Amino acid sequence: MKLPVSWLADYVDFDLSPEEVAEKLTFSGTEVESIDVIGGDYEGIVVGEILRIDPHPSADRLQLCLVSDGSRELPVVCGAMNFEIGDKAPLAVVGVELPGGMKIKKARIRGEESEGMLCAEDELGLSDDHTGIMLLPREIKTGTPFSEVIGPPETVLNLEVTWNRSDCLSIIGMARELAALLRTDLKIPTPEISESEARTSDGISVTIDAEDLCPRYAARLLDNVQLAPSPMWMQRRLSLCGVRPINNIVDVTNYVMLECGHPLHAFDYALVGDKKIIVRRAVDGESIATLDGQDRPITGETLLIADARHPVAIAGVMGGAGSEIGENTASVLLESAAFDPASIRRTSSQLGLSTESSHRFERGVDPEGVEWASNRAASLMAQLGGGDVAAGIVDVYPGCPGERKVVVRFDSTRRLLGADISDDCMVDILNSLCLTVTSRDESSCTVLVPTFRRDIEIEADLIEEIVRVYGVAQINESVPVSHVVPGASDMPFQMAKACRADLVGLGLSETMNYSFVSAQLLDSCCKYDADSRVVLPNPVSAEHAVMRNSLVPQMVETLGRNLSRQIQETAFFEMGKVFLKKESGEIHEEDRLCMGFMGPLGRTCLDKRRPIDKEEPFLWLKGAIEALILAKGQGQVESVAVEHPYYEAGSSVSVSIGGCKAGFMGLLREDIRRKWRMQTPVAIGELALDTVVLARNAVPELTQISMYPSISRDVAMVVPESATHEDITRIMRDSAPAELTAIELFDIFRTEGLGQGKKSLAYSLEFRSLDRNLTDEDANKYHETIKAALKKELGAEIRDS
Amino acid sequence: MNAEELAGTIQEALEEGRTAAAPEALEAIRVKYLGRKGLLPRVMKGLKDADPSERAQLGKLANQLKQELGKLLGARKQELSGASGADAANFDYTLPGQWRQLGTRHPISRVIEDTAEIFARLGFTVAEGPDVETGYRNFEALNTPPHHPSLDAQDTFWLESGELLRTQTSPVQIRVMETQPPPVRVITPGRCYRRDTTDATHSANFHQIEGLYVDKCVSLADLKGTMAYFARELMGPSVGVRFRPHFFPFTEPSVECDFSCHVCGGKGCSVCKHSGWIEIAGAGMVDPRVFKRVGYDPAGVTGYAFGMGVERIAMVKYGIKDIRMLYDNDVRFLKQFK
Repeated sequence: MKLPVSWLADYVDFDLSPEEVAEKLTFSGTEVESIDVIGGDYEGIVVGEILRIDPHPSADRLQLCLVSDGSRELPVVCGAMNFEIGDKAPLAVVGVELPGGMKIKKARIRGEESEGMLCAEDELGLSDDHTGIMLLPREIKTGTPFSEVIGPPETVLNLEVTWNRSDCLSIIGMARELAALLRTDLKIPTPEISESEARTSDGISVTIDAEDLCPRYAARLLDNVQLAPSPMWMQRRLSLCGVRPINNIVDVTNYVMLECGHPLHAFDYALVGDKKIIVRRAVDGESIATLDGQDRPITGETLLIADARHPVAIAGVMGGAGSEIGENTASVLLESAAFDPASIRRTSSQLGLSTESSHRFERGVDPEGVEWASNRAASLMAQLGGGDVAAGIVDVYPGCPGERKVVVRFDSTRRLLGADISDDCMVDILNSLCLTVTSRDESSCTVLVPTFRRDIEIEADLIEEIVRVYGVAQINESVPVSHVVPGASDMPFQMAKACRADLVGLGLSETMNYSFVSAQLLDSCCKYDADSRVVLPNPVSAEHAVMRNSLVPQMVETLGRNLSRQIQETAFFEMGKVFLKKESGEIHEEDRLCMGFMGPLGRTCLDKRRPIDKEEPFLWLKGAIEALILAKGQGQVESVAVEHPYYEAGSSVSVSIGGCKAGFMGLLREDIRRKWRMQTPVAIGELALDTVVLARNAVPELTQISMYPSISRDVAMVVPESATHEDITRIMRDSAPAELTAIELFDIFRTEGLGQGKKSLAYSLEFRSLDRNLTDEDANKYHETIKAALKKELGAEIRDS
Repeated sequence: MNAEELAGTIQEALEEGRTAAAPEALEAIRVKYLGRKGLLPRVMKGLKDADPSERAQLGKLANQLKQELGKLLGARKQELSGASGADAANFDYTLPGQWRQLGTRHPISRVIEDTAEIFARLGFTVAEGPDVETGYRNFEALNTPPHHPSLDAQDTFWLESGELLRTQTSPVQIRVMETQPPPVRVITPGRCYRRDTTDATHSANFHQIEGLYVDKCVSLADLKGTMAYFARELMGPSVGVRFRPHFFPFTEPSVECDFSCHVCGGKGCSVCKHSGWIEIAGAGMVDPRVFKRVGYDPAGVTGYAFGMGVERIAMVKYGIKDIRMLYDNDVRFLKQFK
């Protein structure tokens, strides 16, 4: 909200600079976001009168004007069209510098001489209006300095009024705040009206059919009004608040709204059918043409103001074009009403139409303020438009708010704030805010809550009032004290944190992606899981339309995006939630860990150029997963070959940890990879985070270490391709005694000499006893047993070393 | 040469012996001091002409030179023989080191973990909850008025199931209070969602950290002290805080908390938009109506709650200009968060 400081001064006396006012308001709960100075000294700019207008001979969009500056007549080329002969406007002559820094020079514009400029409001720094030149009232004498017309520069505070404080959406509301902060008086003008003999109640009847949505509706009538521009001082104040001046009647309704926060509406009385106002819900199928020139269909719950036949306004939001104040308006029906905030909010959001009026009504206006606003507006209209105010108000008031009293306890307040504020100080603050203390004893006081402060319901609300005026800064910071809450534990978070640290230690960098993805991205990885996807009914964009059901698609995207920026080698991980729709429609959330490897990660820098074998990235990732889990955990990481839609056929496994299914890993399907122009095999794995962190959380079970020396033996063998490392090591373990303490693969090769479908593997075996020195004979015996078992079970051909 | 000079020369000789880097240098030292035309024979020869009062002293020193330097050169020769000759000259220690480098934590994780760590020192534990929440826990239980703008489909992702994607992590506070009697000290980091159009400072998907402390006698002074402690720990020892009254539906009184700018020290710079202060957190004393909803006795407990945006803190702390960088996952960006 915009708050011109000079207008504020009408209602409260203060001896503070605008900056000091801003500081006081900011630290009492209404943040001043910026301070603007509007206007300038306007040296050399005078009121010019347009004497003649000719078309520009060589430009359609320009006019040649002859303008008087009061002493001489000068030619001015002008680009605006919104004026006629006799109009007056600010004229900047050659040599004048405008507030924006532009200097007026004598110029030829498209061949025509121009010795000055007729100014628009934006060129004068008054607003951002550039729809035409600024027209001034014709009665101002030509040649008058513009600074005399517009007045001195004004300071405007831009406020952020919090949602609960609808009473602060007005100059008087803010004056009340400042008066409380300065403990000074608030001066509210008393409207004076001299009423004519005509009676309002003869001219209009008001019926409220929807009392739940309209607690009060008051109508007044004015006759014989003279429509004209409003005086400069009022136009200036409206502009400073960002409201465009229109005519004296409409301007008064806006002026009073800005002044007291109560939106008003003026109808052309002649256009209100049958002299009737009916406040009612819309009937389905109804529509209304609003003041902004749009035809708007209206639905059932919308509150309308109607005459006997048609809707004439959308209550609280915007008036209808059919009853608009216009050139021919001679009598005015002035509406001052209160509406249900929720209803106005609904309508405003349904229509996508937010106005100064709806902004205030949806936050709640004071039904008790209806009469003052109506009187104030009638008085100003009569003053400016010369109208006769009919006697009395037709005031229908079914929803009078009851009296509300709230008690605040002094000791509780001091305890909650942790500050030693005296009883008297609290009472003083409350009274200064018009929260009248009606009674008090040694422990508490009772406050009568005014109707404009419906936000105050309970004691805590009053404590807030006390502290914001007392000053939060006045409260001393206490030194924080650590307390352990018995039974509180955050193991899952701590375990995930440790897991993240180990992944970083393994050389992986953490990524973070949105929880929503495009259906297209998910489809590109797997088309067959659509049933399990959670689709957003109201997404912001198609890019973010579906909740992710796996971290893999975005991992692919992330790798691909980096590759497109010439980053060939990366190891990423992401920890995050996926969302799965169950058949019942219920949404299941699961924390996952995804890892993605691209490029020659496992190679030393001197060996990165060699083509990457398919097996390599798979084994690097497998190694990283094993390291992550075995570093802290117990039990085995087991892989079982399975097919999975994300992965190449025959290149993916399901991963179990200690017998518990954790997820999948494998080589990314080639067609997906190609889409992202990835030339080398990419390994990706996705595991249930809970399973990973739980496995890592096991308490280490120590085994005794031997103090006796070890003996090692090598076994090299030729086996069929179908024999796996796992088969071989299992046979070794099963056949050997407990003295076999380590098995290490150190060579694999395939040559033509070995024959088709064969490979050679070589292992180093370590033997060690817990309780004695092993002899060579012992080792030889174990070695032979193992070799025999391999021969027997795999048909291995043992190679002599 | 008198005894004093000789003693000094011996020290020089030993120093040369200790620092020599090649066998050739050792040999040169031997020749210089112990060789046939070196220092030692000269000293020995001069002994007979020496002042009788110094003679014994000089003899002792000459012996020391022979013994100590001889021993040192022998030992050093052994040391240097290991990497001698062509091998040593070919070793290029400027070659790139070869070990896997560490990865990096995401800046959002860093802020969350650092914050949790700071509050852990005060006895706060981390509580987490689901992203998909009920309207009750996200709004009603938190005392959000029924026509508050945040309830709009405009601002909130409502789901077909009738649930929603939480717009704040506050529902976790409700969950904690629903399941645990006071006292409560929790930090609730997590992902939240609002229907914002993504731009440099907005993201429909973002993170928050909230805190909740409920006990018999928690005060606004405690909240101020805690936020001041947090600000110093997170941003630096000279960072201060200030509070402005504000409005939030589930705290009363409510405040906004600004940190003094860690970049300019409060003088004004582009990070703090020349105000010297950076808006960081919303906070306040828990509204008694919230306590009532979760079954706490508002007459028996008070509490404070606070909340802040993780992305915002990360951007302010690390000087990130565009929120989208945090979700772009360019490795050149991520690698800088070592």
